[in-house]
Order: sequence, then C-alpha cells, then structure tokens
Amino acid sequence: MFQTTKLAEGVSLHIRKTTQFKTVNFSFKWRAPLTTKAAAERAVLSNVLQHSNEKFKKSAEFRSHLDDLYGTMLYFDVSKRGGEHTVVLNVETVNDQYLSNHPVLNDVIDLLQTVIFQPNFENGQFVPSIVEREKQMVIQRIESVFDDKTRYAQQRLTQILRPNHPASIPASGTIETVKEVNPESLTEAYYSMINNDKIDIYVAGDIDVEAMREKIRKAFPFKDRTPQTPAVNEDSKPAKDYVKEYQDMKQGKLHMGFSTPVRFGDPDFPKMQVFNGVFGGYAHSKLFMNVREWESLCYYVSSSYAPHYGLLYVISGIEPKNEKKATDIIFEQLEEIKRGNVTDLELNQTRAMLVNHLREALDLPRGQIDIFDQYKDLDEEFSVDLWKKRWHKVTKEDLQEMASLLKHEATYFLCGKEAE
Amino acid sequence: MEKIEFQQLDETLYYKKLANGLDVYILPKKGFSKTFVTFTTKYGSVDRTFTPIGGKEPITVPDGIAHFLEHKMFEKEEGDVFQKFSENGASANAFTSFTRTAYLFSATEHIFENTETLLDFVQEPYFTEKTVEKEKGIIGQEITMYDDQPDWRLYFGTIENMYHNHPVKIDIAGTIESINQITAEHLYTCYNTFYHPSNMLLFIVGNVDPEEMINFIEENQNKKSFKEAPKIERFFEEEPQEVAIKEREIKMDVQQPKVYVGLKAKNTDLSGDEMLKNELAIQIGLECLFGRASDFYTDVYENGLIDESFAYDFTLEKGFGFALIGSDSPDPDKLAEKILHAVNHAEEIFNEDSIGRIKRKKIGFFLRALNSLEYIANQFTRYKFNDMNLFDVVPVIEKITLEDVKKAFQSIQGESQQTIFKILPVSRNQK
Repeated sequence: MFQTTKLAEGVSLHIRKTTQFKTVNFSFKWRAPLTTKAAAERAVLSNVLQHSNEKFKKSAEFRSHLDDLYGTMLYFDVSKRGGEHTVVLNVETVNDQYLSNHPVLNDVIDLLQTVIFQPNFENGQFVPSIVEREKQMVIQRIESVFDDKTRYAQQRLTQILRPNHPASIPASGTIETVKEVNPESLTEAYYSMINNDKIDIYVAGDIDVEAMREKIRKAFPFKDRTPQTPAVNEDSKPAKDYVKEYQDMKQGKLHMGFSTPVRFGDPDFPKMQVFNGVFGGYAHSKLFMNVREWESLCYYVSSSYAPHYGLLYVISGIEPKNEKKATDIIFEQLEEIKRGNVTDLELNQTRAMLVNHLREALDLPRGQIDIFDQYKDLDEEFSVDLWKKRWHKVTKEDLQEMASLLKHEATYFLCGKEAE
Repeated sequence: MEKIEFQQLDETLYYKKLANGLDVYILPKKGFSKTFVTFTTKYGSVDRTFTPIGGKEPITVPDGIAHFLEHKMFEKEEGDVFQKFSENGASANAFTSFTRTAYLFSATEHIFENTETLLDFVQEPYFTEKTVEKEKGIIGQEITMYDDQPDWRLYFGTIENMYHNHPVKIDIAGTIESINQITAEHLYTCYNTFYHPSNMLLFIVGNVDPEEMINFIEENQNKKSFKEAPKIERFFEEEPQEVAIKEREIKMDVQQPKVYVGLKAKNTDLSGDEMLKNELAIQIGLECLFGRASDFYTDVYENGLIDESFAYDFTLEKGFGFALIGSDSPDPDKLAEKILHAVNHAEEIFNEDSIGRIKRKKIGFFLRALNSLEYIANQFTRYKFNDMNLFDVVPVIEKITLEDVKKAFQSIQGESQQTIFKILPVSRNQK
C-alpha cells in the first residue's frame, strides 16, 4: 500500500500513489504518552496552531488563504490510541489536474511548512489572548459532551470502569487541566511535540512519489529523536459495578462494560473481532435481532470492541422501566454464544461484513491512511486477504472461548428523574 | 442507454428510463472496490395530504408515516432483509427526509445479488397489523432518543417557529401519539401511491460495468408488473411569507445555552437551473457573511460568543426553504442580534473579492466531495428530483456574480422572515 521512508530517527514518511481520488491528502501524526495533562496541552496546542501562524497572524487571513487554494481543507485534531496521545494535522487539496489554470499543490506544501514550523509567537511564546480564547473553545468542547447523552453516558461508564487510566482519559483532557495551560507551558508543549514526538507523515493521491518524497524531506526537516514509549498501564479496577444517575431526560441510556484479555494484534484478536460481530456489531447480530427486532425494546443496541484497552462496550437506548429486561436479554445473548448457539449463517454474515468494512474504508483517502497507520506496527505486511483468511479460520468453538473470557465489570444507567 | 460525459470532472454518467418509468443512473468509478446503490422515492414527511392511487378524494394520513413505512419495508414474511444483505457482505440502510425516502447499500462483493435484494425488497411490501404494532415500540424509542438531543430540538424548534401550516414543521418521525394511529392499511395506501417506479430513481456508483448492470436491472424490472400510474396529486395549505413565531425558548438539561436564527425563504417555487443558481448564490452569500474569514466570525469568536458548534446552512425544496445560523453561546441574545445585524447589512458586506474567493472554495469542496460515492448518489438524486443536475454545480458556480448573490439573498432577507429559537439550561441545584 504505502511506501515507507525513514526521514530521521523516529520520523517516517509513508507515500501512496493512487489515481482513485480527485484530491491529494496529507496527514501528520505526532505521538506522545497519554496523560491528562499532555492531552489538555496538546488539545489547546492543536487549536492554537489551527488558528494562525507567523505568516497569517489573523485567523481570517489564514482562512482566506485556504479558500483561495480552492478550499484546501486543513485542520488539527487530537485523538488517543492505547497509551498514546496523537495530534493530527489533516490536509486535503484538489489535485491540480482538475483545476484549469491554477496549480496549488506546491503552495499547499509551503503553507504546511509555515503552519508547523512558524507558529504565531510574540516574544518567543504563543500569543496570550489567542491561548486564552482557544482554552475556552476546548473547555466548551469538553462541556458539550454533557449535552449529548449517549456520549456523556459512555464517558461516565469509562470513568467508572477504568478510573485514572488511558481508557478514561479524554483526548482533549479535562476542564481543570485545560484551565492550567498557559502560553509558557504551551510553548514548551509545542517544542516537545516538534522535537521529541514520534512522527508519521502520510501522503496519498495521484502524485509523483520520488518528487514528493524529496519535497517533503526538504520542507519538513524534523531532527532525530528517541520517542518515549508509553508506560504499560496496569488496568485499574472499577470502583463500583453498577451506577445509576439521573438527569432531566426521557430515554434511559444503558451502557455496559466488559473486559477481555485479548488485545489488538494478539493471536486471538481476529476471534474477538468475529465475536463482536456475532454478538452486537451489526444489524444481523444477536443483540439487534433480539433486543430490538424480537422484543421491540429499543431503536439502537450494539456492542463495540476497543482492542487497545481490552474492553467491550454494549450500549442501548431504552424506556427506563425496561432496564432489567434489556440487561437480562443482553446477558442471555452472551450465554447463547457461550453455549455454542451460533449458526453458520451468523458466522458467515459477520465474516462478510468485516471484509466489506475493511475494503470500503480503503476507498477513502483518510481510510487508507488510518488503516495503514493502525496495522503498520504489526510485524507483517497488511492486506485485506490476510485478514479475510484469519476471520475465515475462526470457529464456533473460538467464539465460545471468547465469550467465556469476557468479564462483565460495570454498568452505567442514565435516565430521567421520575423514572420507575 | 444514454451516455453523458463531464470532461472537466473526468466522469461519465449512463442513463436510461425503463418502460415502467424508473429512472436509472450508473456512474462507473475507476479504482474503487466499493459500489454504492440508492433506490429513492420522491416521498417524504411533508407528503401527508394527497389523493391516493385509485381514489378520488384527498386524504390526510398520520404524521410520521413515510418514516414508519421505511422501517417496515425491511421486514418480510421470511424475515429481516438486513440478514440477506449481511450474508452478501453489504451494509444496508435507509433514511427518510422531508421530501425523499431512500434505501441503500454499499458492498465490495456480490453486487448483482445485492442490487436484486434492494430492488425486490423495496418492490415487495409486506405489512401486517402484528408487524406494524411491533414497530411502534422501536420507533417510539427512536422518537424519544431525538427528544433528548438538544441539537435536534434546536433544529426543529426553529423550523416550527418559521412555519404556520407547512408540514415541514412536523418532526419526520412523527410523535408517539401519531404513530400509534398507523395501521397496515395506511402503509399500503402510501406505498401504492408513492412507490410506483415512475416516482423513483435508482443510482449506482462504483465498481460496475454499465452495460451489464443496466441489463440486469431491466431484466429484474421486466419480471414485475406495475399498473399505469396517474400523476400524484399532493396538497399543501397556503403558507404566509412571514414567520409564525418571532422568538421562543425551551429549557433542557444542557450545559450551554444554544441559539439558532432562522431565515424563512420567499422564493420556493423554483426548479431546474434557476433553483440551482439561487441555492448556490444564497450559500455563497451566507459564507460571505458568516464564514471563518468574515468580519462577523472574527468579532463573535474574539468576544467569546461562539464555540466550535457554530454552523450555518441553507435548505431549499419545492414549497419551503430556510437558512439556519447559530451556535452554543454564553450570550445567545447578543449572538442572535449580531447574526441579524449581518443579515440586515448583507448588501454592504458582499464584495467582489470575497465572492470570488468563496467561489473557489466551493469548487474545491465540490471536487473533494466527488471522492465520496455516498455524496454523489444522495446529492444527485436530490438534485434530479428538483430537475437540477449535480454535475452542473461547477459551471454554475463559475458564472455567479456579486449581483446574483445580492439578488438571490433577498429571498431570506425580510425582517418578517426572521425568527430566533433558544435552548436554555434548566437550573440545577446540584451543579
């Protein structure tokens, strides 16, 4: 898929030539160990870098320039994976061949260089008024989780399930840690990101690979670094195995957390992926067929597997009075798999869906980058066929084994005050 | 089969109108492994009063029925259609909007089998009183879920403010009370009236051979017989130009106040090129006033009146249209005032330079969007149902002038067309 070149120690460039898209896509990923403090600083940092730079000191000027480059999309974001925190810069620009008279690709690379290496500094530090304003933006982003009850309930579940652990640290930090960020600490965080982080740079599009490699090498002279590997966190234990909370709302949000010893890249990882598909990942899954289609208890019910944390979540929106009934049916579906009550049809449907999802994701430039990025650390060449074969080897007995390894650790239920 | 080439975009579109009236469009995409297919009827939540097929008098059906019908199409005597799609590795889904109901799948294998499944399940209704009753619990929870979502309430609350009579103000899913009145007979009436092939469009985009595909579809359609369908008659009450409610607020369990300013459109009887130009010019106007490069944005950003939720959008269909502008905000009144100030001074703010820049931005956005098979299929269908052509977007944008923007913008500019809707936090003792 991608051709990888080491630009410096800890800095890799991955390029893919493809004629599939009308755009050229760039992605820069900076990785560092995930702590609440680092998450907060880096969330504010990504906002501040997106706001302005030395060449375009006003946000409006910067945005106007992007518009002129045929609406080149440029944004920073933060995310996490396992014990790592990532600052990502995504850029998508129209391939010059579709623009009759005005090539933009070189201008975009120049702009990226400015955005990354020439921040908007005043006396060697980020501008205090911009830092304060962007801190406020990040705080409001964190607060807004409260307004989306599904996201809020999921956040509460992870806090209960894995307190003080990467699984429950939000990628934007917490309100308290964001408030502590100041121009000085932010400037330090910036230099640390540029000089110490593990960096992966991606380019995908209809480009000349050799020429692009040289352009990138010249434009982004990152120095050698020995990136810190994240500490292996002991899994913390849930403080309580059941928590119920009330808000002014109509629906009940049922969020259940299970643990599994099977993690990303383990030999059993493909078994766990198939297990999740049979259990609750799709519209043919046991949860959907029973909780929704058979019992009419909900509109949505699904399971999702977080392989980097060894966790599996089940979520559903139900009438509060049906909490016990829904919970019982969810556990019953798990028991069914333990007993080996899985049909060949269910297995085949799940395998077909897993393959399809992977192939479909590869039809998007961002999908190609993200999938390669996720699988590249495994000691093998990634291909859809490889994973297809692995999923096909998974048997009913394997699923029984996965089900019996699964341990229910905590349930969180959020509902209206007058419930019951 | 007709072959339509768009040279600048490097795309070729194939079209055929089948004997039963179905419009079929095929857009092959090189290099993609995926195929995305949508099968859409020109029937949405606003079509609640109409003359049923074979009937003489108009009837009004319970609210939320188009969406209910969409749910019920997936259940057959032999089971759930999702099962069949999954078996062939396809992700299937459906959605109901104000004016359309779309059934769709995407897959990387078994494209013919999946296309057949799609055509057959949408063209073979199976409704019983028992299955209809069963669905009420599921859709009831869907409605409750939306009731708890402040962003959805903000959106619909603003539309409710704008409209006196038009059914666009009714939630697409209806209410718990209205769906409780729905019977299997209602579903058949609506189905028979609106799901005739001559009221539908099939769009296929992705890794397909157009000749093979059209033959396959024709063969499938020729096996089925459809009665000749008369033109569908829909009825709408007269809608005044001004908004129904100038200002309103509700309380919810949220952290931040939220506000939308709604601008009700005057010109809602357009179609074809005229509509395309009007819609694009108004979008350009909104971007000029409220985009990230605007003076307005710099002002409200620096003064802390908006956050990352700030958004603006323009919707236009036959019979209704509106712009929505808003954000979470610590001072929703001040923000609404500033939004309206910009709208009322639009003509002084619009200028050649900004319009030129935004036109380039929009062309870039459109070309980026063409990477997405979903975007192409959904938008093409929406445009076609309004006699517009998606692939005309770039040439039309290129021709839009400052004068065009000023003129089009007048559609949403009158003071009597403006409304404000707010969601405020409930006072909480424990917080």
